[in-house]
Amino acid sequence: MVDLSFIIGGPQGGGVESAGQIALKAFVVKGYNVLGTREYHSNIMGAHSYYHVRVRDGPARALKTPVDLVVAIDAESVLTHISDVGKGGYLVYDLDSVDVDATKIASMEPSLRSRLRRFFADMNMKPTVGSAVKVLEERGVRTVGLPLKDMLKKVSDTLGTPIASIAKTVNVIGLTAGLYTQGVSLQHIVKAVEAQFGRRPKILAPNITAARVAFEFMEQNIGNIPELPDGPHRGRVRMIASGNEVVAMAKVVGGLTFETFYPITPASDEAFYIEENKYVELGELSEKLELDKIPIAVLQTEDEIAAINMAIGAAAAGARAATSTSGPGFSLMNEAISMAVEMEIPVVITLWMRAGPSTGIATRTGQQDLLHAIFSGHGDTPKIVIASGDHVEAFYDAIKAFNWAEEFQTPVVHLLDKYIASTITVLDEWDLDPHKVSISRGLRIENPPEDYRRYEVTDNGISPFAPLGSAPMLFSSLEHDEHGFASEDPVDREAMVEKRLRKFETIARSIPEEEKIALHGDPSARVTIVSFGSTKQAILSAMEELEREGVRVKFLQLRILSPFPSKAVMDAVGDPELLISVEANAIGQLALLLRAYTGIEVKHFIQKLNARPLYDVEVVYGVKRILGEGARRVVVSGGA
Amino acid sequence: MVRRWADYKTEAWVQWCPGCGDFGILAAIHRALAELDIDPRRLVVVGGIGCSSRSVYYVRGSNVHVIHGRSIPVASGVKLANPELEVVVVGGDGDLLGIGGGHFTALGRRNIDLTILLFDNSVYGLTKGQAGPTLPVGVKTKALPYPNVQDRVNPLILAYASGYTFIARGYAYHVNQLKDLIKAGIEHRGSAFIDILQPCPTYNDMMTKEWYEERIYYLNEEDPLWDPRIRGPEDHVKIPRIVEKMLEFGDRIPLGILYQDLTKTTLEDRFEQQMPGYRKAPPALRPISVNGRAPVHPFKVFKDKLIET
Repeated sequence: MVDLSFIIGGPQGGGVESAGQIALKAFVVKGYNVLGTREYHSNIMGAHSYYHVRVRDGPARALKTPVDLVVAIDAESVLTHISDVGKGGYLVYDLDSVDVDATKIASMEPSLRSRLRRFFADMNMKPTVGSAVKVLEERGVRTVGLPLKDMLKKVSDTLGTPIASIAKTVNVIGLTAGLYTQGVSLQHIVKAVEAQFGRRPKILAPNITAARVAFEFMEQNIGNIPELPDGPHRGRVRMIASGNEVVAMAKVVGGLTFETFYPITPASDEAFYIEENKYVELGELSEKLELDKIPIAVLQTEDEIAAINMAIGAAAAGARAATSTSGPGFSLMNEAISMAVEMEIPVVITLWMRAGPSTGIATRTGQQDLLHAIFSGHGDTPKIVIASGDHVEAFYDAIKAFNWAEEFQTPVVHLLDKYIASTITVLDEWDLDPHKVSISRGLRIENPPEDYRRYEVTDNGISPFAPLGSAPMLFSSLEHDEHGFASEDPVDREAMVEKRLRKFETIARSIPEEEKIALHGDPSARVTIVSFGSTKQAILSAMEELEREGVRVKFLQLRILSPFPSKAVMDAVGDPELLISVEANAIGQLALLLRAYTGIEVKHFIQKLNARPLYDVEVVYGVKRILGEGARRVVVSGGA
Repeated sequence: MVRRWADYKTEAWVQWCPGCGDFGILAAIHRALAELDIDPRRLVVVGGIGCSSRSVYYVRGSNVHVIHGRSIPVASGVKLANPELEVVVVGGDGDLLGIGGGHFTALGRRNIDLTILLFDNSVYGLTKGQAGPTLPVGVKTKALPYPNVQDRVNPLILAYASGYTFIARGYAYHVNQLKDLIKAGIEHRGSAFIDILQPCPTYNDMMTKEWYEERIYYLNEEDPLWDPRIRGPEDHVKIPRIVEKMLEFGDRIPLGILYQDLTKTTLEDRFEQQMPGYRKAPPALRPISVNGRAPVHPFKVFKDKLIET
C-alpha cells in the first residue's frame, strides 16, 4: 500500500503552487490518487506558504501530519515545519540557509519566532536552520542539504543564460530532490513539468534542466532509491482540478447563463474560471442554438450588494443566475437574500466559508457560517442550504442548487469552504457525469395570460413563474397581494406568509430523503459522528483507521441543512452510546441545530479552530480521547 | 395599435400627498411611454424605496419593486439578461444618490442601456422629512431641528464623472417638457440620467414650487444654438461649457439636455463583441439544456485540466 504525505514550503510568489501542482501531476501520471491543498497568507509576495499533499493507491481522502517529506525552499519553511516531518521522513533544504536565525526572518509571524526561540533555548541552541536540521536528525529524520546556489549556477551554465533569468526554478530543484527521495523517476517528473508548463516553452526549458540538475545531484549524493512502483490508476484520461474549478464547471454545464461576483478570497477563483470559460462550445446545446460558442454573462460588480441584486434582476428576467462569495460578502448580501425570499426569486449563492469573524483570516478555512447561511436575511426567510463534503458532491450540488432554486423560486445557498476551494484532487470521467442530475426549471410559463398573478396562492405554495417581459406583472419586495401589488391588508399578509411557509414544506417533502443526509459506516455502530461539509473525507479516512483499531463508528453527514431534515437525522442517530459533533467552529453550530430541530443533545465535540483543514489523524485522536477519557471537547490543532 | 397615455395607468391608488411633484412626473412618464408606443409587456420599471419608487405600481409594465437603494443593480441584471426589454429606473435622491450612490456611479462605467429618473426633492419623505443628499448645507426645512450640516451632491456632475452618456434635468410641474426629456432619455442608447427637480409640499418648505420657478430656465430657450451632443472628438470643445452649465445651481438653474455622448458603446455591445451570439441567445431566454439534460460532459469542455496516466 502506498500512502505518502509531503509538504513543499516557500515564500509566496516563489513557485510553491506550481511545485505542488507538478508534484500532483507526477503522481497522477504514475497512477496514483492525489489530494493537495495550498495554505497561504493574505499576501502577494514573501510570506510563507506551503503545499500539502497526500498520495495513495486507494482514495486520497484527507491530509495528515506528520508527513514523509518536507521540501523547504527557504529557511522559514524549515523552521515553520519543524514538527511536521516524522521519523524516517526526509527534509530537503537549502544548505546556504543553515545560519539563518528565526528571529531575523522578517516575514515570519512574530508569535512563531517567539515559540521557536523558546523551543531552541530549552535545548541551549540558537533558533537557526542548522539547529533545526540537527534536532530533526536526532529525531530520525533524514536530511538532504542542497547547495541551491551552485545548482542554479549549473542550470544557468547548461542553458547559457544568466542566473537571474532562471532563479525561479529553485522550486523545481527542491521538488525534484524531494520526489527523488520517494522513488519518483526523472521521466515522471519531466512529464509532470511538461504538463505544467507545456504551453509556455520559455519557462518549460529551464524547468526541465533544473529537474535534471537536481536529479543528478541526488543520484550522486544520496545514491540509489528503489523506484516507486506504478499505481493502479493508469491508462486513462483523468482530471486534476480544484474545488473552485469543479463548481465553476458544474455551473457552466449545468445551465448557468448569468454570474456576478465581487473579488473575495476564496470565492474569486470560481468566478475567474467561469469567466475563462464564459464563451465555449457546449456540445449539443451549440448545435441546438446554432452557435459555435455559448455566451454566459459574467460581470464583476462594484460590491457584493450589487452582485446579488444584479443576479436577482437577471433571475426575475428568466436567467439561470448565480453569484459567489465568502463570509464578509455574504453579510453584505443579507438584505437582498431577504428580498429574494419575499419576491420568490430563483437565485444561487455559492458561499465559500473562510475563517471569521470579520475579515478574520481571509485565506484560511473554517465552518463558521452555517447558522449565518441558514438564518441569513431579516424577517422569516426560510431558504435552501446544501453543504458539499468534497469535489464530487460539490459538482452535483451546484447543478441541483440551480434546479431547486428554479423549481421552488427561492434562494439556495451552496455551502463550501476555503479548504475545498483550493484543494486539488484527481477525478475520473465517471465522477463528474452531468447526466446523473437532470436539469429542471420548475413551473415556468413563457406566455402568461394578461391577468397573470405572480404570487398566485396555491396548495403547494408554488406560483407559476413567468419571466419579466412576458406580461404586465409585479415582482414586489413589499408584502403584496396575488398580483404583486403592495398590500398591508392583514388577510393578504397572512395568506402570503402561509403560502411561503407551505412552499418551504413542499421543499422539505420534495427533496428525496437520501439527498438530505448520508449515513456512512455500520448503522449499528454505537459511536456516531455528526458533521457537515468538508470534514467528510477526513472523517471517512479516520473511520478506516479506527476500524483497523477495532473502534466501530458511523458517520451522519448532513447534506441539506435547510430545511433541516429532522426525521432523517433522528432515524439515523437512533440511540447512540456516544454522539460526537465534528465542526470547525467554536460554538458548535451543527450541534445547536440538532438540538433545536430534533431535541438531540450532542455532548462531545471535536473542533478545529486554527483555520487549517481537518486531518484524518486528528479525528482518530479526538475519537480516542473521547472514548478513553470521556473528554467533552477536543480541540485539534494540526497545520502550520 | 397606437397606445394612449391612459393605457399605462394601473388600478392602484396613487398614494402621494396632494400637490406632490410626483404626480407631474408620473403624468410625463405615462405620456412619454404612449408617444413611444412601448408595449407594457416589454417595459420594466424598477424602483427602490421611497415615495417616488412607488411609481412601479402606477405604471403598467412588467415591473419590480426592490429594496432601498438597489434598483440600479436589479435593473442592470434585468437588462443584461434580456437586452430587448425597455428598462426604466425610478427613485428619489435618497435612494439613488444616498444609499444607492455606489451603484449610481458604477452604472456610468458600464453604460448599460437604462433610463434613470431621479425624483429629486432633497428630502426623505416617507420617513418624515430628513435631509436628502441634494439638500444644500445650512438649509433648515421644517422637519429638521437644526440646519443641514451636510452639503448637497451635484447629481449632474456625479453622473458626468461616472460616465453616463445622457444627462438631462427637468422640472416636475412642466409635464410636457419633461415628457420630451424622458422620451429622449429612453431613446438614447446607453445609460441616461434625468434629474427631475420636484417640490415636496409636505416636508421641503424651502425648495418650493415658487423657489424653483424663480430660478429654472431652459438651455435651448436661452440659447437656440445649444447643442450638447458629442458625435466625435471634434465636439470635445463643447465640454467646458457643458460642465459650466452642470455646475450652475443657485440663482439660476438650467433645464434640458445638458450632455449626450453618441460615441460610446453600451455594456450590451461589449458583451456582443466579446461573445457574438449574446443578443441572439440572451441569458434570460436561451435554452440551457437538451431534453432536460446537461448538454456536455465537463471532460469535453475543460480540457486544460485533463491529464493522461
